[in-house]
Amino acid sequence: MSFRQARWDEPPIWELASVPESPAAPPPVPGVPERLRRKRGVRWPELSELEVVRHYTRLSQMNFGIDTSIYPLGSCTMKYNPKVSELLARRPGAAALHPYQPEATAQGAMELIWRLERALAKITGMAEASLQPAAGAHGEYAALLMVRRHLAERGELERRTEVLLPDTAHGTNPASAQMAGFTAREIPSTNGCVDLAQLRAALSDRTACFMLTNPNTAGLFESEILEIAEAVHSAGALLYYDGANLNAILGITSPGRMGFDVAHLNLHKTFATPHGGGGPGAGVLAASERLAPYLPIPRVVRRGRKYRWEYDRPKSIGKIKTGYGNFGLDLRAYAFLLAHGEEGLRHVARRAVLNSNYLAHRLSAELDRPFRPLVKHEFVLSGARLRERGVRTLDLAKRLLDEGVHAPTVYFPTIVEESLMIEPPETESRRELDRFAEAFERAIRDTPEALHRAPQNLAVLRVDEVRAARYPRLSWKDLRETAPPPAPDGSMPPSPPPKP
Amino acid sequence: MVGPARAPLGDTVPRWISDEPGEEEGLLRALGLTEVDELFSDIPRKARIGRLGLGAGREEAEVVAEIDRLLERNRPYSKFANFLGGRIAPRFSPAALDAILSRSEFYTAYTPYQPEASQGMLQALFEFQSLWVELTGLDVANASLYDGATAAGEALLLCRRIHEGRRFLIPASLPWEEKSVLENYATGPGLTVQEIPWDSSTGSLDLDAVDRAVQSGDVFGMLADLPNGFGHLDEGLPDLKSRLGTIPLVVAADPLALSVLEPPGEFGADIVVGEGQGFGIPPSYGGPLLGLFACRREHLRASPGRIVGATVDAAGRPAYALTLTTREQHIRRSRATSNICTNQSLVALGFVVYATLVGPRGLADLERRLSEKARTLASGLGGIEGVSAPRFNAPYLHEFTVELRRGSALEFLDRLRRRKVLGGHALADPRPGRPHDAERILVAATEAVDDTAIQRYLRSARAAIEAVGVSA
Repeated sequence: MSFRQARWDEPPIWELASVPESPAAPPPVPGVPERLRRKRGVRWPELSELEVVRHYTRLSQMNFGIDTSIYPLGSCTMKYNPKVSELLARRPGAAALHPYQPEATAQGAMELIWRLERALAKITGMAEASLQPAAGAHGEYAALLMVRRHLAERGELERRTEVLLPDTAHGTNPASAQMAGFTAREIPSTNGCVDLAQLRAALSDRTACFMLTNPNTAGLFESEILEIAEAVHSAGALLYYDGANLNAILGITSPGRMGFDVAHLNLHKTFATPHGGGGPGAGVLAASERLAPYLPIPRVVRRGRKYRWEYDRPKSIGKIKTGYGNFGLDLRAYAFLLAHGEEGLRHVARRAVLNSNYLAHRLSAELDRPFRPLVKHEFVLSGARLRERGVRTLDLAKRLLDEGVHAPTVYFPTIVEESLMIEPPETESRRELDRFAEAFERAIRDTPEALHRAPQNLAVLRVDEVRAARYPRLSWKDLRETAPPPAPDGSMPPSPPPKP
Repeated sequence: MVGPARAPLGDTVPRWISDEPGEEEGLLRALGLTEVDELFSDIPRKARIGRLGLGAGREEAEVVAEIDRLLERNRPYSKFANFLGGRIAPRFSPAALDAILSRSEFYTAYTPYQPEASQGMLQALFEFQSLWVELTGLDVANASLYDGATAAGEALLLCRRIHEGRRFLIPASLPWEEKSVLENYATGPGLTVQEIPWDSSTGSLDLDAVDRAVQSGDVFGMLADLPNGFGHLDEGLPDLKSRLGTIPLVVAADPLALSVLEPPGEFGADIVVGEGQGFGIPPSYGGPLLGLFACRREHLRASPGRIVGATVDAAGRPAYALTLTTREQHIRRSRATSNICTNQSLVALGFVVYATLVGPRGLADLERRLSEKARTLASGLGGIEGVSAPRFNAPYLHEFTVELRRGSALEFLDRLRRRKVLGGHALADPRPGRPHDAERILVAATEAVDDTAIQRYLRSARAAIEAVGVSA
């Protein structure tokens, strides 16, 4: 496949117009005292609508999306974002709703939230779910605040200060633990999975909870999960489910059945809401009977045929954001759920796991697979043997971009040398998987020189990330006011390994 | 005669999954399998679940019909004379904005970790950061946080990283949701949030109370908002930094207001956060929103969130990349400055597109026009007996506070609703056990407010107050 991305050399937007250094002050707003008034106008270009539309349309043409290319980032579940969801989220009955509208004027939205929360509680095997978190990490953090409340009530917060997690955990897990006031402690994995003996040895009366994603980031199902849950609970600790990888187990098992006490999900992964170039996402908190009282307020409740926001939950952690959650995305997720139904969700998991095993099987001819062959929705390869040719995983990733396909997650999980983490979700057809595999084969067989030079077919050549960090230039103001860094010497920049 | 073979993954293939005849069998065959269940043999039997009771899947037409049935039970604010506001502003959005946000190269992309494949979004985010720097008068901005409240929470944590102490000061007038979010951010590191009372006449911060709090020591930061939780402007804000000395000052500012107000960086703010949804993003019942965050250069490495930097490619041509990632969770793990991963990129794109479509003069002009509408309404409401409007003797822009001397705010708003007026929102803290000392309503003006809407508000308010008089 021959591919060339658009290359517009589009300047930053302020270069499209001549912007005065000191724009005239805006006309005074009556009643606003002199000392609060802006003394000069905002320094920003004045452009016609067409100029603005062209500028951003050109930028969009220099961006990969799921709609342009397979996007097999591990742990990111880059599945097709159904167009019907976009249509529905733009209806006035969804978009033109203010969160402070009287309940009588938002009964449909409240019912949608109520239905989706109940469906997600069923899917996760939990007592209750809340849609308030804006994203997955936000949900982790809120869940750990709930754990804090619960431990405080048991009088054990002073003692239980440790959060345990496997060394394959997403970076958000330890970061959330630290923000919630716990100390994060990593447990080394064996063969890509939790080492039960090491976990048992680490558990103590200082353990607040164990955070786990299952299947884990190596794509492996933690088959000892019931024993893990038993060990965690006998130590008096709680078990936390990171739902980033839920896609693999939809309708087959559930966090609740596996013994988890509290979970977060990412609607922008499993439930197909768009990733938006990095966000917005939508998170879900799901909690067992024991932890549900701590969920954020307000909770939507049904009384007869009416829905109400209930604030009187004395044990609740309170609010974690303004509003009730990212409703615009919740609605998209609900459309996905309705379209699939129960059997459809199970089909999603089956096909995602089938796609992943198929692609893993095909690519294992090219690179080593560090763990057992049976994987779930994603799999990990090691690019270590590329080193013999003086090539790194990063070069392979850049060369893949030249094929018009997005690169997998690289250099994560960190327990695998030169790792690639690949997740081909259920919405990729066999033809697309084969195309990706062929692109992969072409890329890996290319000469080391070509791999080092890649990419060549995109809007830019390899980007100098080291320089970006060494000489931070982070805004137009920086470009205007700080001295330009020394000219690059023309050698190929040694990009640092990007992370998931 | 052989009947149709059973499909290996289930009889009904969901709409968005490929179902070419023989495809699933082919994939299984390549793996040497006949049953997909073999791929799940690693899940213990005891961990399997049975039926969930979620119902059958639906055709796309049925999905549309079902969701439309739900949405028809909503009454969008556009059907009312609408005066709702606060941090979330139901303002007009130019059609060109949604056209750009609907470019699926933007909205179906992931975080731009492969910069060569994502220059479009990276450049747009660099422009977004630049705009927030220009509006705030600060040095560096990040590529967005979840919303204004969580941005304030991250600002609290940054203050603690750059200054000693256990107490964080906030205005007692801050919206209750933000108070609650800030209390949550303070919980982990064992910090406390202390409310500074307002002056009963102006609603502004009691600066003497700020002095007393600072003198008693242990304060690591303070947040003030512009406009404040009452919708008014605090004239004392420019004096605040001199009272705090080295204690960092966070200003939570409305971006539209900043088109006509002195940038907080000019009067000593160390961090400026804000809610950016009002720049053309529909409220969508409260989300997605947009957390804005900027700080002084010296605090850059302690600051949260993704940042885009300008650099060059291998040919020395301008290019953009995520940078300073060693602050972030995926590299630094438990020592990261924040746990944030997914942010609000698409909404940040919307913010800079909106501001550019409207233009800097257009933004200031919009704020001035909305302010005029707010003043017309306030003076009309002030003429009604039993209503204090504006409640506070302080300047204001597009929103202000009304206080009822009789009846309850919720009842008043309900009576207005029945006359097709969304008259604002009650400011009381609904959390159990919180004081409820007055019946205050925040009222805001948008482009949709015209003379007819204002007259309807005034008529409805008079009737509502009279009805309370009769029932009392």
